[in-house]
Amino acid sequence: MKIPYYPGCTLHERALDFDMASRECANALGVELEELPVWTCCGAVFPLTTDSVMDILAGVRNLAYASRMGDKVVTLCSFCYNVLKRSNKVIREDEEKREKANLFLKADTDERAEMESYLEQDYVGQVEVLHYIEMLRDVVGFDKVAKSLKTSLKGLRVAPYYGCMLLRPKKEMEFDDPERPTIFEDFLETLGCDVVDFPMKAECCGGFQIVRDEETAIACSQTVLSSAIKRDADLIITTCPLCLYNLDRKQKEMAKRVKGFTKIPVIYFTQLLGIALGIDEEHLDFSDNYVDPRPVLAGKKLV
Amino acid sequence: MFEPRIVCFFCKWCTYAGADLAGTSRKQYPPNGVVLRVNCSGRVDPQHILWAFREGADGVLIGGCHPGDCHYQDGNYNTMRRVALLKPVLESLGIESDRLRLDWISAAEGDKVVNVMSEFVETVRDLGPMELDLTDRLSGAEAPDEAKGVKVSTAKKKAKAKR
Amino acid sequence: MEHRIGVFVCHCGTNIAGVVDVKRVAEELAKYPGVAYSTDYLYMCSDPGQNLVKDAIKEHGLTGVVVSACSPTLHEATFRRAGAAADLNQYRVEMANIREHCSWVHRGDKEMATEKAIKIIKTMIEKVKQNEALEPISVPMTHRAMVVGAGIAGIQAALDIANAGHDVVLVEKEPSVGGHMAQLSETFPTLDCSQCILTPKMVEVSQHPRIKLLTYCEIDDVSGYVGNFKVRIKKKAAYVNRDVCNGCGLCIEKCPAKTASEFDEGLSERKAIYTPFAQAVPNQPVLDRDHCIYFESGKCGVCQKVCPVDAIDYEQKDEFLDEEVGAIIVATGFDLYPIVNIGEYGGGDIKDVVTSLQFERLLSASGPTGGVVRRPSDGEIPKEVVFLTCVGSRDPEGHMPYCSKVCCMYLTKHAMLYKHNEHDGQAYVFYMDVRTPGKDYEEFYQRAAEEDDVLYIRGKVSKLFEEDGKVMVWGVDTLTGQKVEIAADMVVLGLAMVPSATATELAKMLKIQMNQWGFYSEAHPKLRPVESLAPGFYLAGAAQGPKDIPEVVAQASAAASKVCALFAEKEYHREPIVAWIDEDECAGCRICISVCPYDAIEFDDEKEVARVQEAICEGCGARIAACPSATAQQRNLTDDQLYMMVSAALED
Repeated sequence: MKIPYYPGCTLHERALDFDMASRECANALGVELEELPVWTCCGAVFPLTTDSVMDILAGVRNLAYASRMGDKVVTLCSFCYNVLKRSNKVIREDEEKREKANLFLKADTDERAEMESYLEQDYVGQVEVLHYIEMLRDVVGFDKVAKSLKTSLKGLRVAPYYGCMLLRPKKEMEFDDPERPTIFEDFLETLGCDVVDFPMKAECCGGFQIVRDEETAIACSQTVLSSAIKRDADLIITTCPLCLYNLDRKQKEMAKRVKGFTKIPVIYFTQLLGIALGIDEEHLDFSDNYVDPRPVLAGKKLV
Repeated sequence: MFEPRIVCFFCKWCTYAGADLAGTSRKQYPPNGVVLRVNCSGRVDPQHILWAFREGADGVLIGGCHPGDCHYQDGNYNTMRRVALLKPVLESLGIESDRLRLDWISAAEGDKVVNVMSEFVETVRDLGPMELDLTDRLSGAEAPDEAKGVKVSTAKKKAKAKR
Repeated sequence: MEHRIGVFVCHCGTNIAGVVDVKRVAEELAKYPGVAYSTDYLYMCSDPGQNLVKDAIKEHGLTGVVVSACSPTLHEATFRRAGAAADLNQYRVEMANIREHCSWVHRGDKEMATEKAIKIIKTMIEKVKQNEALEPISVPMTHRAMVVGAGIAGIQAALDIANAGHDVVLVEKEPSVGGHMAQLSETFPTLDCSQCILTPKMVEVSQHPRIKLLTYCEIDDVSGYVGNFKVRIKKKAAYVNRDVCNGCGLCIEKCPAKTASEFDEGLSERKAIYTPFAQAVPNQPVLDRDHCIYFESGKCGVCQKVCPVDAIDYEQKDEFLDEEVGAIIVATGFDLYPIVNIGEYGGGDIKDVVTSLQFERLLSASGPTGGVVRRPSDGEIPKEVVFLTCVGSRDPEGHMPYCSKVCCMYLTKHAMLYKHNEHDGQAYVFYMDVRTPGKDYEEFYQRAAEEDDVLYIRGKVSKLFEEDGKVMVWGVDTLTGQKVEIAADMVVLGLAMVPSATATELAKMLKIQMNQWGFYSEAHPKLRPVESLAPGFYLAGAAQGPKDIPEVVAQASAAASKVCALFAEKEYHREPIVAWIDEDECAGCRICISVCPYDAIEFDDEKEVARVQEAICEGCGARIAACPSATAQQRNLTDDQLYMMVSAALED
């Protein structure tokens, strides 16, 4: 089975490990992530101005690319997912913006666009934007995932961290209950882990504030981490490269500031899935993590 | 701009009360539709609808209770069937069937009255004025003679006698 | 007949005149064929306005009147009476709705609104021209009322009607009467004990010679119309012969199966055979087969063995009773908004976050903790208790948009009663606004804040979570702009009132209207607050909207008085807007008989014609539209009238 795949910039730059692990896992589950031959940045932040069409064009353009390949597009990064899904909703529901956006796309002189002649028909929101975890649940099926497992993760205490962008705003994302999400818990139970439910699982990691106001962002991240550590989590999983950056890299700063700070590894959820699927460790690539998850995993005889 | 003329048959239990609610809530919608209050949408005879088109209506809107909510148990199901059957007849007469709309609007749905009314006015506006002269075509359709006050039923009886 | 129609255009202050050019309307209509008199007036419904109609009828010999004002649901009756007072048959008076359907909804375009008003009035002129002079149809009436729901609203309504000398059937789906009020501890603002004021009334309904009390029963079907309803009631199998059971309670004592008590909101356990609470009325137990060992495995049978009067009957089946009544009061009460929907407050998973009804049980002397507030998690007495208002209400984004009305007051009461129990404890109330519009309510709130040191914090709480045996409260004080974090021992949620779970189903069965949240709709929000739009149905209590006990009791008494007013007449006078069939024209095809949902048409085999039974016909008109020869007509809404109305609506 082939599914169109939109990796987004970060997975082609900083989060190569996430991209690789996710492709490997998909392969192991009989799914080929077919990367869009042409794609651009999604825009990274969904615009809050309601009167501008220009600001959603980047997202819409990528969806229009995807529409040439199939009726779905899978993505992994929370920001990409947020922007694509919300842009798609605007196109589906706002006739005026739909028309305008298509006019812009038609006027697009980008040579790649011409090359792909992706604009033979209007983009009207026909593509369904899926997060990889939704693909696992709804396309592959958690039951099939369970049957494909090679390694038991029993006894590994994993805390799922959702962050904000995946869940909010509720009515636009329609992903899960933003106050009490459960999709990653269901996923972890499929893998056989001990799920650590912690109250900060959907609190903000600090996000982009890490650039402007590091103190605040680190405080946010630390609240998240301590809450999971307090509940004896062995590791944390996430799906957002920015969350991972704040939660993992900044533990260095936290250790400096807080006496007796315990470090905890934070990895992408597909890296954990890869272990359960018996994928070779080098294809999962833990080398980029500041807090190395391997000792914890080795302790459970998983690597 | 073309201002369509629309006749609305609203059931007094639901849609008429819904339109009252739109009023008490001071919601705004275009003034093209004139509402006739009927006890039940089931009171609306296809001939009333044909008559409206004959008299120059650009659109006819019927509002009834949601299925299952009819004050008279199943009057609205009659309406549903009659409208479904009438639509192809309208097409065959050269009247776009979108000029006839049936919607379920409860007494609590003031907003829906506003939306349906606004939408329908737009639909009919897009269709343009009714330019068919139906006087001849519908003369057999049990309509009264030109002169007002001629009893319709008398005309019907004449038609019946002719048959 | 020469038509002499009078047209009266109401200004309704500026409500109509502010948009519609009433002078022009009156002038134009004076020229319309058949109009003998046309005028406008500031307030038609006022005494002088009505007199204007009466005088004009006499002076100009009017044969029909069109009052162009508000919706007919408001003042049709008013002007019909005015017409009748001037010897004009009341059915020759009609209203043209140029307010709700015109001036209020077309404020942007005065010209078009004026044009539309003229058209609306013309349709009604055409209608009234052909209106027959009719008399109301008198039908026999059953002088017996039914009240559905035996909470405080149903109890009060039943007692009032019974005390006025009419028989009442009181139906309750639970095993006992009392409703939510029986669960409450003390009541605001007087702090008198809820059970102390309620239980005498519970006993009274069970003993009143004019009240037939049917507990553990549900409405299965309703047919008929005002004055003559037939109600089918399902008497749920209780597996206890209620004619024999003497309420000794031995079966309850010996029953080995336990489950969560609904009455204690899950804070204690009850047996599989049970009465909901000690003062239950009737005091006979019912057996809950879902939790009974005998029904699960066929073993046990202890209750049967110990019963001294052989009242236990495992073979009992649901029974059906038929009751005939003339009026029905619906008093089905409320439920709390489901806590599971409130993810930010744990969705019911945090043990020490309780609902307001659970807290009532914790405060109640007859509750699971004997009136000492203890935390559900470990039974400790909490020292920091946080109360949250507007949980699930006033939240149009996520939950219910409406104000639940009573939460400010009962949470104030909760905080106060807690403080009376635990003098060294601290009570916090997070609020959006403290709403205290009721007699002595504001003073009660002031007392809580000033004398009992309840700390009121203006702001919402964004999150509750468990940490180290405490409930962490993350909130904000919007008056100081500070974040507030409290490590509480217990949190009480002031959950919104929503209509009871069965309300929607019942409304569909009775064909009464609800608003979009499922509360029953009154016929008019101000002037007819206890009647449903459907004749013969009356509303009482929180089923119509969130309200507190005094308001519920007032509404119940009002509904009862409406029923008594209906019963004051020997017969019921129905609108004569029914169907009739011209026997000379009827071809005897019987299509109308197949369409009529009321079996109101009989067939005369001799003459081979259909005939309408006017006493039964509801006047829907569905079968008139079905008549292929147009011989069936509806009085005062004939095909001819509708054709003329349509034409008038389209005239330029």
